[in-house]
Amino acid sequence: MSQIEIRDVSIEYKKPKSEETFVAIQGINLAIEKGSFVTIVGASGCGKSTLLLALAGLIRRARGSIRVEGRDVTGPGPDRAMVFQDASLLPWRSVHGNVRFGLELQRWSRDDLNERAARFVRMVGLGGFADYHPHQLSGGMRQRVNIARALAVDPQVLLMDEPFGALDAQTREVMGDELLRIWERDKKTAIFVTHSIDEAIFLGDRVVVMGRNPGHIRDVVEIDLPRPRAAAMLDSAAFIAYRRKLREYIAGDMQSLQMIKDVA
Amino acid sequence: MTRLFAKHQALISGFVSFAVLLLIWQLAVDLGYIKAFFVSSPSRAATEFWRQLQSGEVRDNMTVSLYEFAVGLSLAVAVGGLLGVLAGWSRTIEYILEPFIWFKYSSPTIAFYPIFIAWLGLGEPTIIAIAFIFALTPIYANTLSGIKNVDQDLVRAAKSFGARPHDLFLKVALPGSVPILIAGLRLAVGRALTGVIAAELFGATAGLGYSIAYYGQKLKTNEMMVSLVLVVILGVVFTQLLSLLEAATDSWRPNADR
Repeated sequence: MSQIEIRDVSIEYKKPKSEETFVAIQGINLAIEKGSFVTIVGASGCGKSTLLLALAGLIRRARGSIRVEGRDVTGPGPDRAMVFQDASLLPWRSVHGNVRFGLELQRWSRDDLNERAARFVRMVGLGGFADYHPHQLSGGMRQRVNIARALAVDPQVLLMDEPFGALDAQTREVMGDELLRIWERDKKTAIFVTHSIDEAIFLGDRVVVMGRNPGHIRDVVEIDLPRPRAAAMLDSAAFIAYRRKLREYIAGDMQSLQMIKDVA
Repeated sequence: MTRLFAKHQALISGFVSFAVLLLIWQLAVDLGYIKAFFVSSPSRAATEFWRQLQSGEVRDNMTVSLYEFAVGLSLAVAVGGLLGVLAGWSRTIEYILEPFIWFKYSSPTIAFYPIFIAWLGLGEPTIIAIAFIFALTPIYANTLSGIKNVDQDLVRAAKSFGARPHDLFLKVALPGSVPILIAGLRLAVGRALTGVIAAELFGATAGLGYSIAYYGQKLKTNEMMVSLVLVVILGVVFTQLLSLLEAATDSWRPNADR
C-alpha cells in the first residue's frame, strides 16, 4: 500500500449566488510512495491547488477517498504540513515566532518550542535573521520561513502550493536547489504544485500533469534524472525531452481553452 | 542649524505660531485693545493657575474629572470590546446590535443627557454614563472590524496546522487587530474626555467642566481660563500617549519603519 492513496476524488464548489455547482476536479486517482517527491503541473484552473488543499484537509470532497498512512483525511492533521505563498506568515511575529507558530498550534511542549524553532530557522539559513519581521525580508527569505514552519512540526508529508510562485526567476532557481538540499536530508514525502514546467521536472521524481474542464489527471511522467539534481541538468538532452513532452500536454490544454473562447 | 530646523520643522513651526499667539494675546490686553474681562490674558491666567494650584482647587477638579473619565472609558472598553468580539464572532449578534449602533452614530448622544439625569441623578453616575456612551461606539466598531477583517490567508495557514477556534482568536484575530483596536482606543479617549467635560458643564458639583461653567457664569474669565487650559492639555497628553502606544504596537507593519 502506498503512503498516500487518492481514489476517485471529486471536488465541487457552489457558484456564488446560484444553486449551480462548479466541478473543480473529477475522478482523481493517484498513489504516492513514501519519500518520493511529486510535482503537479497544469494550466491555471486545472484544480491542482484544489487537490492539494483537499490533501491538507482544508476543503471537503464531494466524492472519493484520500488516505494518508491508511487513515482517511477528514481535516488538517499533524501528519501533513503545508507551505503556502508568502502572504501566510504572521506579519507581527518574528521569523522565530512564525516558525514557532506551527509548533504552538500542535501543542509541542514548551521546552521544544524555542529550541526546535531556532534549529529550523538555522536549517533554512536564516540564523542571523531570527528576530526580523516578515516585511523586513525578501520574498525568498519569507519562503524559507514558510518551509521552516512546515518542517518544524515534523510532518510525514510536506504539501507545497506554488511556494515560489511570487519569486523572480533567479531566486526561484536558488530556492529550488535549497528545497532539494533540505529534502535530501530526511526525504519526507513532498507534493509540490507549480505552474512552471522546469520547476516540476527539476524537483520531481514524478510529474503529475493535470488538465481542466473539469480538472483531471492527464498523465503521470516519471522523471529519470539522477539525484542530487543540479542546475546544469536543465540543459541536458533528457531534461529538454521531458520539457517538450510536458509542454505539449499543457499547450494542448491551452488550445482547447482558446477554442472554447473562439466559439463563445 | 538649517538641518536641525528641517528635522523638527513641524515642531518648531507649531511652537513658534503658538508663542506668537500668546504674545499677541498678552499685548492686545496690556495695550488696552481688548478688555481682560472678556479674554483674560496669559499672565493673568498663569497667576490664577498658581493660586488654584496652591488652594488645591486644581487638584480637586482634576481628580474628579480624571476619575469619571477613567471609569467611563474602562466601562466602554470592557463592554464595547466584549460586544465587538461577540458581534465579530456571530453575524446574528452583529445584526441584533446594528440598529443601536446606527442610532448612536446618527444622533447627538448628548440629547439623552436629561434622561440620564432622571435615571441616575445629577452628578457623578450621570457623568460617567455619558462618558461611557460617548466612548462606546469607536471601541465597539473597531473591535468588530478588527475581528471581522482578519486575514483569511492567515486563518487558512493556522487551520492547516490544526488551529482550534480559540487559537484562531488568540493567535491570529486578536494580535492582527491590535493596530485597529489602539486606533479605536484613541478615538474613545478623546470622546470620553468630551463626554466628561460636557456632562460636567451641565450638572456637577466638582470637576474641570464644572469649574469652567461655574466661573463662566460668574463672568470670572481668569479663573475659568485655568480649567479650560487644563482640559486642552489633558486632551493633548492623552492623544500623544496613545500615538506612542500605536507606534510601539504597530512596528510590524510594512510602513512603520519609514
